[in-house]
Amino acid sequence: MFDDLPGQIHKAIIEADRWKLYLDGLGTTILIAVGAVLIGLLLGSLVGIAKVHTASVRKRRWYHKILNAICNIYLTVIRGTPMVTQLLIMVNIVFAAAKVEHSIYVAMLSFGINSGAYVAEIIRAGINAVDRGQMEAGRSLGLPGGKTMRLIILPQAVKNILPALGNEFIVLVKETAVVGYVAVQDLTKAANWIQTKTFQPVVPLLLSALIYLVLVMLMTWGLKKLERRLGKSDYR
Amino acid sequence: MITVKDLHKHFGEIKALNGIDQEIKKGEKVVIIGPSGCGKSTFLRCLNLLEVPTSGEIWFEGNLITDEKCDINKLRQKMGMVFQQFNLFPHKTILQNITLAPTVLGLMTPEEAKEKALGLLKRIGLPDKADSYPAQLSGGQKQRIAIVRALAMNPDVMLFDEPTSALDPEMVGEVLEVMKELAEEGMTMVVVTHEMGFAREVATRCLFMDGGRVLEEAPPAEFFSHPKNPRLQDFLSKVL
Repeated sequence: MFDDLPGQIHKAIIEADRWKLYLDGLGTTILIAVGAVLIGLLLGSLVGIAKVHTASVRKRRWYHKILNAICNIYLTVIRGTPMVTQLLIMVNIVFAAAKVEHSIYVAMLSFGINSGAYVAEIIRAGINAVDRGQMEAGRSLGLPGGKTMRLIILPQAVKNILPALGNEFIVLVKETAVVGYVAVQDLTKAANWIQTKTFQPVVPLLLSALIYLVLVMLMTWGLKKLERRLGKSDYR
Repeated sequence: MITVKDLHKHFGEIKALNGIDQEIKKGEKVVIIGPSGCGKSTFLRCLNLLEVPTSGEIWFEGNLITDEKCDINKLRQKMGMVFQQFNLFPHKTILQNITLAPTVLGLMTPEEAKEKALGLLKRIGLPDKADSYPAQLSGGQKQRIAIVRALAMNPDVMLFDEPTSALDPEMVGEVLEVMKELAEEGMTMVVVTHEMGFAREVATRCLFMDGGRVLEEAPPAEFFSHPKNPRLQDFLSKVL
């Protein structure tokens, strides 16, 4: 399997300009991941804040209950079924009429909806982890609840949220590797395809793994820098 | 200034307040003492609606604050509160902690608020801490800043919820000193505390609470030297 490694490398990367396939695949992977992160963040923030809000209102009215029920159904269904299954359902049932070349956007939406459920829980937990006294202090000064949330609670919650959120995005980037199931040419699919041409799995698979690894390490580094910046008021 | 009528507060099965009637007049310094779990903090927190009473009425400057239609945010601007755990905003500098509410609520321009804050900081001897973060201060300093933060709103009454209970013993004095000065200036104060010395010196009236009721109230001299209620006699014999 490892015979003539230089020859294998040549075949898997240089020959027939195959390096372009990795690059295109990587581009697709990043495009799906970035789109999904944005959708997930938006959806997760809405659902997370809705959950915190409905749990904290003094008088729960009927629309609070409905909102809460919708959020709970979303969280339960999305977290209770496999990502691949959700992806297949989206492509083959919900958007069955969409053109094949649009599959990438359906995948983006699908990953975004999936990620949103986890982001929502991360945000909810991050807000709830801020000391109750902070809300009371803001309210006791006469600040309305919304302003206290925005100016006092959320900035502190971000610090709790960020590490877990970064983790979720790293998971998301790697999870996009299943889009090959719906015939989208991402990095994994490209490596797989090259393997079927050269009949040599070592170089394409290890190379794609290396590219994911570098991507994730870059993200980890960026998040660490961001966390350090946000933590400046913790210094003594 | 504050009138409380037949105030009840239940937490599920637990009856924290069992019918309290009180009248707090302008300039009074009311000190509430009692064993832990007697309802004294709950009573204080009901006064600015941090706890919503189960039943009863609370009037503040002619407004019925227990009424649902009442704009509690407006009234809270006139009721400063100091907490046991300080509750400074850790992500804001000391100056921002003090100026945030007055500026966000449009009561002062940023310049006015800053000037006011620096003046207050100077009064408590911490003008050099304006740009520090709360994590850089001692407990006593934090609590003094918390008092200043409430004062920056120009409140008509100050509520203190065990302001020295979370402090190291050596820092209690500096906080009580600020509170004493405040009292001398004529601020209306309602203080829940275990500091009997402070109660004796500063209070115009002491309340003893147990089981969600006020069992005895008297000026401090009488309260401490001739307690009538046996429960208070027992309590004082243990703490004095």
